Amino acid sequence: MQSRAVDGFHSEEQQLLMQVQQQHQPQQQQHHHHHHHQQAQPQQTVPQQAQTQQVLIPASQQATAPQVIVPDSKLIQHMNASNMSAAATAATLALPAGVTPVQQILTNSGQLLQVVRAANGAQYIFQPQQSVVLQQQVIPQMQPGGVQAPVIQQVLAPLPGGISPQTGVIIQPQQILFTGNKTQVIPTTVAAPTPAQAQITAASQQQPQAQPTQQQAPLVLQVDGTGDTSSEEEEDEEEDYDDDEEEEKEKDGAEDGQVEEEPLNSEDDVSDEEGQELFDTENVVVCQYDKIHRSKNKWKFHLKDGIMNLNGRDYIFSKAIGDAEW
Amino acid sequence: MAYQLYRNTTLGNSLQESLDELIQSQQITPQLALQVLLQFDKAINSALAQRVRNRVNFRGSLNTYRFCDNVWTFVLNDVEFREVTELIKVDKVKIVACDGKNTGSNTAE
Repeated sequence: MQSRAVDGFHSEEQQLLMQVQQQHQPQQQQHHHHHHHQQAQPQQTVPQQAQTQQVLIPASQQATAPQVIVPDSKLIQHMNASNMSAAATAATLALPAGVTPVQQILTNSGQLLQVVRAANGAQYIFQPQQSVVLQQQVIPQMQPGGVQAPVIQQVLAPLPGGISPQTGVIIQPQQILFTGNKTQVIPTTVAAPTPAQAQITAASQQQPQAQPTQQQAPLVLQVDGTGDTSSEEEEDEEEDYDDDEEEEKEKDGAEDGQVEEEPLNSEDDVSDEEGQELFDTENVVVCQYDKIHRSKNKWKFHLKDGIMNLNGRDYIFSKAIGDAEW
Repeated sequence: MAYQLYRNTTLGNSLQESLDELIQSQQITPQLALQVLLQFDKAINSALAQRVRNRVNFRGSLNTYRFCDNVWTFVLNDVEFREVTELIKVDKVKIVACDGKNTGSNTAE
């Protein structure tokens, strides 16, 4: 896992990372409280594997604790670490559907992050300042054996029109959410299921398309309603149903010229509802049969060893004889 | 193998619900619950054959009849069940009857 995570950087992302690092580096030492293993490692000189270890730790901790507060310096370290391989491949991230509660966490550096806890237990942390764009990153599912080793990847996509780098790193056992810089939230990527097609260029292409169509406040996170086709289907069904009703009404009016024909048509069905027979609270007799006899429509029952539930009461018999006419 | 026919009775359903609760709280395994139900089947079949000695008559109108997999299923309407002690009237009753001639290896209800 670690070796795989150690590939090249994106040059642009690295530049952004360097900028952020330099800003927060003096605070680095103070924020190592959460992670026991590596506190004294300078960022830039540490070999990448060690840094990936740092990266893995929060995820493992997160496996146990439901919430992870990642200080900004840690975020920066992670960005430095390069799991840029994943960054190279993955570009867009999005919150999976079902993200509901939103919590706000004040990080050590004083920045206000929002923690969104998704239905699948994943936690997403993003900075809702000004312009937050949720990009969708698809990471193939981890080993089915439930290996806790996370794939930590960072993407600071150099989006067109990107402003000051705002970064949010979400560490999860399975997925990582990254927020890049953008002027708008893109709900489509948030709500849509995640096909494995994360490309930075694709993301940048999607975003300008989404911008004109969706003008929403940056703090509003829409997790549903976009890309739905069910509403269209419902409308079609309703239209068909209405058409059928109208046809029946017209027929009735043409034949008899009376308004009350419609209820009469509904009486054509003579047989009982099947639902009555399947209704659960009916009286039941479970038994064994010795002999069942029929003459024309006269039936005779010879039953034994039965338990009856009639009118809510239980009865029992060793022998039962009955007659019925069909 | 005794008939599993009697699991859908008040007694059988109560037992199954209790077993489900125990499984939920991880106090027993599902395998053990299955063994308990099998033992219930044996016990109830034996008890009905050995310990019950009463007789019931009934009369009504037959609504539907079905014979499938050697199991008769009837739905009767406006039925009177007559026992020595009392009379019971119901609007609708469903009778499910397995073959009583053999002790049979029928595991279906």
